[in-house]
Amino acid sequence: MVTDLESEVINYLKGELDGDLLEAYKQRERRVFVRVKPSAIRRVVQLLKNRYLMLRFMTLSAVDNGLDMEYLYHFHINGIVLTVRSLKPKEDNTLESIADLISAANFIEREISDLFGITLMRHPEPEHGLVLTKDWPDDKRPLKKPFEGILPPKARPVAEALISSSCVAPISSFIQRKRESAGLSKSAGFAFADEKSMSEFHSMIKDTNLSDKVGFDWEKKRLRYK
Amino acid sequence: MVRYAFFLGCQIPMRLPNIEIAARKVFEKVGLEAVDLLGYSCCPEPVVSRLLDEMAALTISARNLTFAEELGLDMMTLCNGCYETLVEANEVLRHDVEKRSKVNEILKRYGREYKGKVEIKHVIEVLYEDVGLDKIRSCVVKPQKMKIALHYGCHLYREYRSPDIMRKPNMMKEIAMQTGVEIVDYGLERLCCGYPSMQADEELSLKQRLLLKLDRIKEAEADAVVTACPACMIQFEMGQIMLRSYGIRHSLPCINLMELLALSFGVPYKELHLELHRSPVLQLVRRMKVV
Repeated sequence: MVTDLESEVINYLKGELDGDLLEAYKQRERRVFVRVKPSAIRRVVQLLKNRYLMLRFMTLSAVDNGLDMEYLYHFHINGIVLTVRSLKPKEDNTLESIADLISAANFIEREISDLFGITLMRHPEPEHGLVLTKDWPDDKRPLKKPFEGILPPKARPVAEALISSSCVAPISSFIQRKRESAGLSKSAGFAFADEKSMSEFHSMIKDTNLSDKVGFDWEKKRLRYK
Repeated sequence: MVRYAFFLGCQIPMRLPNIEIAARKVFEKVGLEAVDLLGYSCCPEPVVSRLLDEMAALTISARNLTFAEELGLDMMTLCNGCYETLVEANEVLRHDVEKRSKVNEILKRYGREYKGKVEIKHVIEVLYEDVGLDKIRSCVVKPQKMKIALHYGCHLYREYRSPDIMRKPNMMKEIAMQTGVEIVDYGLERLCCGYPSMQADEELSLKQRLLLKLDRIKEAEADAVVTACPACMIQFEMGQIMLRSYGIRHSLPCINLMELLALSFGVPYKELHLELHRSPVLQLVRRMKVV
């Protein structure tokens, strides 16, 4: 069976990466995108190096999305361009270097480190000072955005309460006492009053991607930003 | 007996239980059975959630509507915001096959299905259409001798059953009139109280919305403002407190329509927990009692 190189690259990475590959598609002729977990980047690079002798690292792009950093590694393989994307939460301000696997990544990684204030791991020269001065203040990196999601400050408590408790107005113990003294149930029939309903509500919120969109941390049960 | 699935929303049970207390007393007097829902969530909140992600908001609304469908009852809300959110979601899901199918795809995973068989009514519609003014009038044993200004709330003008956006506000006015009050016109009934714009600009919300209404209501010499919406009540009560930080003082009592009805039906004011108000409602009611 004859397959084009784009499909061959996609199938190869699908076969090798299993759960580390989140998405892979041919966008158009000679253009392939794959999305992988950030922990798999070095493995992807090694796999590509092993398989394609004509592999050429073109460059690395970095985008600050507010809550996450997106890294896009662009490779040229025998006439096609492959972009490997990975999204890393900004709570972890580090980037695993690939400079020891591909020397050409050395300078662009240092440039990103300078401009976004990222700490490089495993890099042969990880210190700042390539495009900015070495004493450039860490809190004034020119391309670094504030750690914020899409919600304006006043909307944050509302969205956080809705997702975490199914209700936008948390009840106080004072109101609970007043309700009981008036012969009402402590907190009405809300989902949060029943474990099964709450679990169903939370699963539905995850299914709709609302929590990802607003930047909700399910472990801490609150927004990732204040 | 008239029966409805009772959607309480968030603000009323959690922040303003005095409205729920009064509503349940009123339902008892007029013979209306409100069936409580178990496991429901926020409608969701109309300002933030619906703007953020329409499909997520529709899914949350649809889940709430399935509770009424399971009971085989139409749904009644006490809150203008919940009313608009649920009615709008119901309309969208009934007419947009693609969106309904996407929502049902998620609901199916939890053994639920939105069928579009439920009608949603504001409590004002239920009282006016199902209970009737005659029944309400017959329950009034203590006519309230006070002058009131009505604040209908923006969401009450949202209309899906008729081209007349004044349908529900007029119902509210007629219901209020049965309680013996004198209704004063102050000319700014249609103006928003400013609650939604608090999210964006506190000063504008207070000075360009709420204050204009408070000044005109004061000029009209009303003893109180009567609302149908918990969010408007929060704005009228908390807004007056917040205005003090700008050196502006108002002390206008703000009552919910359910409380006005309960008082006129002879429910002792102490049972209504009017002390929960952040405006001088208790003082007003005591004063009226003495008069």
